[in-house]
Amino acid sequence: MKKWWKQAAVGVGLMTMLAGCSDGESASTPKDGKVVLDMWVFGTTGYDELAKAYMEENPDVQIKVQSTEMGDHHNNLFTALSAGKGAPDIAMIEVGEIERYRDAKDRFTNLNDLGAKDLQANYLDWVWNVGSSSDGEFVYGLPTDIGPTAMYYRKDVVEAAGYPTDPAELASTLATWADYTKFAEEVKAKTGKPVVDNAELIFNAKRDQASEHYFNRDNELIVEENAEIRAAYDYTAELIQKGTVGNMPLWTPEWGQGMADGSYATLLGPAWMQGVVKGNAPDAAGNWLVTTMPEGAGNWGGSYLTIPKESEYSEEAYEFISWLLTPDNQLNSFKDMGLFPSTPETYEKEEFKSYTDEYFGGINTAQVFADAAAQVVDVYKGKNYLLVQGEIMMALDNVLNSGGDPDKEWNDAMDRIKQRLERE
Amino acid sequence: MLPKPETSPTTNIRKKKMSQSVKDNITGYIFVSPFFILFSIFGLFPMIFSFYLAFFKWNGLGPMTFAGLDNFRIIFADALFWKSIYNTVMIGLLGTVPQLIVAFLLAYALNSQVVKFRNTFRVAIFMPYVTSIVAVAILFSIVFNNQSFGLVNSIIGLFGYDPIVFTQSEWGAKIAIASMIFWRWIGYNTIIYLAGMQSISNELYEAAKMDGANLFQQLRYITIPVLKPFILFTVFMGTIGSLQVFTEPLIFFNGNLRPEGITVVAYLYRDAFESNFFGTASATAIVLFVLIMIFSLINLLFTNRVGRSKKRGASA
Repeated sequence: MKKWWKQAAVGVGLMTMLAGCSDGESASTPKDGKVVLDMWVFGTTGYDELAKAYMEENPDVQIKVQSTEMGDHHNNLFTALSAGKGAPDIAMIEVGEIERYRDAKDRFTNLNDLGAKDLQANYLDWVWNVGSSSDGEFVYGLPTDIGPTAMYYRKDVVEAAGYPTDPAELASTLATWADYTKFAEEVKAKTGKPVVDNAELIFNAKRDQASEHYFNRDNELIVEENAEIRAAYDYTAELIQKGTVGNMPLWTPEWGQGMADGSYATLLGPAWMQGVVKGNAPDAAGNWLVTTMPEGAGNWGGSYLTIPKESEYSEEAYEFISWLLTPDNQLNSFKDMGLFPSTPETYEKEEFKSYTDEYFGGINTAQVFADAAAQVVDVYKGKNYLLVQGEIMMALDNVLNSGGDPDKEWNDAMDRIKQRLERE
Repeated sequence: MLPKPETSPTTNIRKKKMSQSVKDNITGYIFVSPFFILFSIFGLFPMIFSFYLAFFKWNGLGPMTFAGLDNFRIIFADALFWKSIYNTVMIGLLGTVPQLIVAFLLAYALNSQVVKFRNTFRVAIFMPYVTSIVAVAILFSIVFNNQSFGLVNSIIGLFGYDPIVFTQSEWGAKIAIASMIFWRWIGYNTIIYLAGMQSISNELYEAAKMDGANLFQQLRYITIPVLKPFILFTVFMGTIGSLQVFTEPLIFFNGNLRPEGITVVAYLYRDAFESNFFGTASATAIVLFVLIMIFSLINLLFTNRVGRSKKRGASA
């Protein structure tokens, strides 16, 4: 009899141990009267250092910053929000991912209820609008950093093509996309190199200058009738058919190698791409420069800090994030980690204005991107944005690699988009 | 008041009745219970929930709306769904059939007395199996790189052919994915065949040699017949495994799943976790479930028939 109980006890013990694994320390329990805020971030933000400074000023608040790789971070967050349990008090959401939560207002605290309306004027309009519902009544999150896009270019390739290498001169020579086409042909004729690394970035650059993309604010699919998007597609297809678009997909080894070797003339990328260029082409200092791209700029990347509904300390969390994202602290994040500020006031600060980067030929890259940030068009994306984008990219891939007919590929892509959206 | 005194004696009797065998049973159940508890939470519940979800439309956050059979109608009307089934079968055949044949020959070589350093080779051949699929997939994406400097493309280039864009080539993509499966699983099957071959008594071969059987005849009349159950096992596992191929195409296409190589599981993954269409993803999962059942049944019938013929052979 005793033996039996011993065995049972071991069995039960094992089970509770296993069950115990699922119940982590995610619950925010006040320790000695302290408010504990769990914060989930991804990438290198440096927010843990700022949190320490905040905790010194506010001894009754304890902030636990947990950083995870971007993909895992968003999967974990989606699962927690879907289950309605296990989400942190503060969650960072990337600008592309925030579209997924358009319908999920019940999972987030409306920051307007906590006074976000007073902060709106601090931030760029378009950035603020992406983080709020289309009527502006519901604010999901406060903007952290942004990714205004500009034109990175290889000095040596541009020079070989017979174009001016000074940033301001090149920008005025390439004022329109028609100029850019001519430039592309020159680059090809003189150097044999493509003008861009791949079809995606040229399409995105032109797409981002449109005022409407794939869905309207009522979430209706408008991509097929949208002449601006079609123009972006046709422009990209035209450059492809002229043989001036490279075949180095983003994030592949050959893409990075191309950056180091200067296998293409321009890279239409955002502010945070500076770190990527430096990392991939450490020996090309002075060969990469930045200037504004033809006809305006777009935005790629950046994040928002949200407060999931289940947080017990939404007010304390709001206090902290509104402090973290003030123009002054955004300047700190810019200096520490290169996060590009979403607060235009920061652009006026002396340290920002006198910023130079030796790698990029000693120019003030921050100013180039600040100018770009002012040009970004306010646009509504919608929760199925990436689905539509993926199908258009596939069409352009087919034109690029399989010699597909642009019109037919476009029509096929539209059919696939409608087919997939039926599943919603 | 009356029933009370009546119940206590019965429980007493029951307690006394709990014999050693009952106790042993309870102990046994408690010992196996962790698996069943975990399985019902992480295995059974998701399975049943997935069946339920197949009849609803759900984006993971909003409310579920009943859709009846609409999810099935949508996927059956999608050419890409049928393409994904075709791809799965083709990749399965390309990855499994040559793999089993080569694994058999390798096992035969490793079992023979002529090969030196047999243990080293046995370990080496098994190594790919313990390698992470992601690492394998990344490695093979470099081998089957679209650019002219990719390993396969540079070899093709030596013969004067143009580089193949593997991710967009109907057969290129399939061959690349199938070769990952081939490379990763060949060791596993070789070891199974080797274990089978080592169970064959040497006397059989000696007797055959005495009768003047050559190497091929020994293989044909001794090794293959004795190994039949092992061969069936590997075919069975290979069939089910290849219907579930997922990581290889996902990494090979860098997340951008193209029709040239999308498999059924990759198709449902794209619906569920990229677009949050959990309804159609669950419907696809059910179709896949039925498909695996059909393939397993075919395998089972095949196995039974083989079993019968063996008996006949024994009685003859």
